[in-house]
Amino acid sequence: MAAASTAAAGADASSFRFPREYSFPAFFTRQTNLTTHHAQLSKWSALVLAYARHHRIFRLGLSAAADSDLFYNRRLDRRLGMPDIRELLDFMKKDGRIEYASGGNGSGEGEVVFVYWRKPEEWARKIEKYVEETGQKGSVLTVYELGEGEGTRGTEIHGIDNEVLLKALNVLVRKGRAQIFGQDDSQGVKFF
Amino acid sequence: MGANGSKVTAQDKAILDMKNQRDKLHQYQRRITVLTDKETDIAREMLAKGDKERALLALRRKKYQQSLLSQTDSQLEQLEKLTSNVEFALIQKDVLFGLQQGTKVLNDIHKEMGGIENVEKLMGESADAIAYQQEISDMLGGRISAHDEDEVEEELEALEREVTGKISQKLPAGPETTLPDLQPVPNHEPVHSAAEQPQKQKLEAIPAS
Repeated sequence: MAAASTAAAGADASSFRFPREYSFPAFFTRQTNLTTHHAQLSKWSALVLAYARHHRIFRLGLSAAADSDLFYNRRLDRRLGMPDIRELLDFMKKDGRIEYASGGNGSGEGEVVFVYWRKPEEWARKIEKYVEETGQKGSVLTVYELGEGEGTRGTEIHGIDNEVLLKALNVLVRKGRAQIFGQDDSQGVKFF
Repeated sequence: MGANGSKVTAQDKAILDMKNQRDKLHQYQRRITVLTDKETDIAREMLAKGDKERALLALRRKKYQQSLLSQTDSQLEQLEKLTSNVEFALIQKDVLFGLQQGTKVLNDIHKEMGGIENVEKLMGESADAIAYQQEISDMLGGRISAHDEDEVEEELEALEREVTGKISQKLPAGPETTLPDLQPVPNHEPVHSAAEQPQKQKLEAIPAS
């Protein structure tokens, strides 16, 4: 699994292979039959996660995404409308696969979502494994260092979204495996 | 997070400060690298336009930024050295603590053993007891060898005979039990029973050898 996703990250960004349904026009229209609709949402959810995993997208801006090839199939000239996207996101939210980012930098509430192709709990396990394997238990690491530093280069953690990273670290804090301290913009974490 | 502050020591905070400083230098270096690249581009652009003055200026700025970069490099090195020194000192402290604990436990155990005199006394007593035991063994052993050595050897021979005897008795028993079972089948055809006769003789010859 690790090898597969790193290979995907290294591959050309445009080489994402869309699933079969993507070239099926009805896929972009909301299905009225309840069972079909559910299946449609599941397929879309899988597509969004695979797409985000391939491009290592941690946060998705909705209006930009609606125009990207994720929701807009230019070959078919079909797109998933904004209400349908919202419905899809609500569906994924129930699965814990996305989370609305609290509005901040100008963008309104509900405009940006975190896409959890790996949930914070899963990231937490990755981080803990990394710390254990590199023998850094009991030592102090900066949050910046985990996401951007030389130490994690080549691991999946490198380049992780800062907020997702903090969420993952907070999972470890709740378990009593780590402690976050320091000022807001220069936080450090100590692993136990 | 603040409520659970007991696990983070002052040293941890100091290390974090240093590491944060290092991160900031890293970021600074990244920024400057971007800037120097940009200045090169500007210089190239200005040269293409024929504005030699500006191109020179851009290159000077680039040179200055590069000198900054090498300065940050050495600062970074200092900082990293200091950080690893502090971390190493912390480990040394732990090692010292471990040694102290170990020595204390060792001393406690020695105290329980009651000093060297006690051990010496005990060792003397145990040597006495061993010598005494040896004496007893010698006495008993001498008597046995005179009396019963022949008997022991006889018993061994008897046992050996029993063991080898059992094997020679068992060997002929094998073919005798299996062969009669085979006979009913070939009885219908006399050709086969005739062929079997020499086979039986062969099998009987084995135990004799």
